[in-house]
Amino acid sequence: MIMVNSITYAMKGRDILLNYGIKAYVERTPRNKTTVGCGYSIYVPERTDEAEKILTEMGIKVAGRRERDGIS
Amino acid sequence: MIYLDNAATTYPKPACVIKAVNYAMNKFGANPGRAGHKMSIDAAEEIYLCRKTAAEFFNAPGPECVVFTLNCTHAINYVLKGLLKPGDHVVTSCLEHNAVMRPLQKMSQSGITFTSVKVFPGDNDATVNAFRSALTEKTKLIICTHASNVLGIRLPIERIAALGHIYGIPIAIDCAQSAGIIPVDMEDGKFDYLCIAGHKGLYGPMGTGMLITKDGSELDTIIEGGTGTASDSLDQPVTMPDRMESGTPNMSGIAGLRAGIGFVQRKGIQNIFNHEMSLINYLYKKLSGMKGIKLYTSEPKFPYFVPVLSFNVGDVSSEVIASKLNDRGISVRSGLHCAPSAHDYIGTLEQGAVRVCPSAFSNMNEINTLVLSLLRII
Repeated sequence: MIMVNSITYAMKGRDILLNYGIKAYVERTPRNKTTVGCGYSIYVPERTDEAEKILTEMGIKVAGRRERDGIS
Repeated sequence: MIYLDNAATTYPKPACVIKAVNYAMNKFGANPGRAGHKMSIDAAEEIYLCRKTAAEFFNAPGPECVVFTLNCTHAINYVLKGLLKPGDHVVTSCLEHNAVMRPLQKMSQSGITFTSVKVFPGDNDATVNAFRSALTEKTKLIICTHASNVLGIRLPIERIAALGHIYGIPIAIDCAQSAGIIPVDMEDGKFDYLCIAGHKGLYGPMGTGMLITKDGSELDTIIEGGTGTASDSLDQPVTMPDRMESGTPNMSGIAGLRAGIGFVQRKGIQNIFNHEMSLINYLYKKLSGMKGIKLYTSEPKFPYFVPVLSFNVGDVSSEVIASKLNDRGISVRSGLHCAPSAHDYIGTLEQGAVRVCPSAFSNMNEINTLVLSLLRII
């Protein structure tokens, strides 16, 4: 999951990735020891490194990466 | 009923707007951007789509630049109170609504000064020169209406913005009377802040408005609270639009606003302008030929006016005329229209004026009925 700072950026980032043919989904960031606040992420099951690079290049501030609970 | 008070808020609203509000009330009943369940995400998606639509409509860089507000006044307050500090100077025009003038008056108590410059209808060079002459080294903002809500006089905002940027001064535009009537292009116009009413020319529900800005993170906040993000921190987020949107948003209103913008896009902004302007030009010609009618501008023409017209009948109070028209089923606005500065400009502070503003739904029969009613009243 690629964490971003707002649900607006999550949706904008998802749209950007979809335009690049990368599957992306907006999800609530689950709380754990490293992510204590509320927030939203873009779940990118494949090509995640490429997705993060695209997002950064397109001006989406990436707040971090984490594994999606129970999946990859 | 003939409704010609569309400068206050448009009525009727398009069927698509009513449908969108109903749909949102039924299907997007969860708090958007707060939870991870489907209805909350669906509601947030609808809000995101409205941001995207508005950003495209006003040619803003992206959906994150669109902040939803209660109305245009709310957006103007965000800019003035978020940007200005004691000692700062502001330049504005002599035609401003109280949405601009009252915050400035209040802020003058804490050391902020302002200059209201004279507008010269039909002479944009003179208007721009007036703005130039008012700038000082302490000027930190130019804020002006795009079009007067009393007289329809349009300001050369692109040139005023260019002037401001020569001196590094940002510009905020009050688009209450222009959004949806004439094109507003943030990128081309190099505007820093667009303050927009959602319920007028964009045909959204009342209680909707927008502040559109490329980067609002430099604005201090006047409202803080929950945003659904970074909740572990007691500091207000810097990220836009969350920074300016604390608390639960007007979900169904925003859905209606998106439908309203869609209505304008489908109709075509130029078609709407041409239609309304033809009605106002026709009315102007009719009123010009009527004995006792006082008009306050030259014939409204593109590009110097938007379709808003004010008049009086002799020295009769505007309230009396509006009341008599109301008795005949015609809704117009009398008084000062929350813009005493504009009335001071035309010398109608005591009498006020009767204001007529059509919408995309108005027609020639309605204008003819207004004219006939005035003939009987006179």
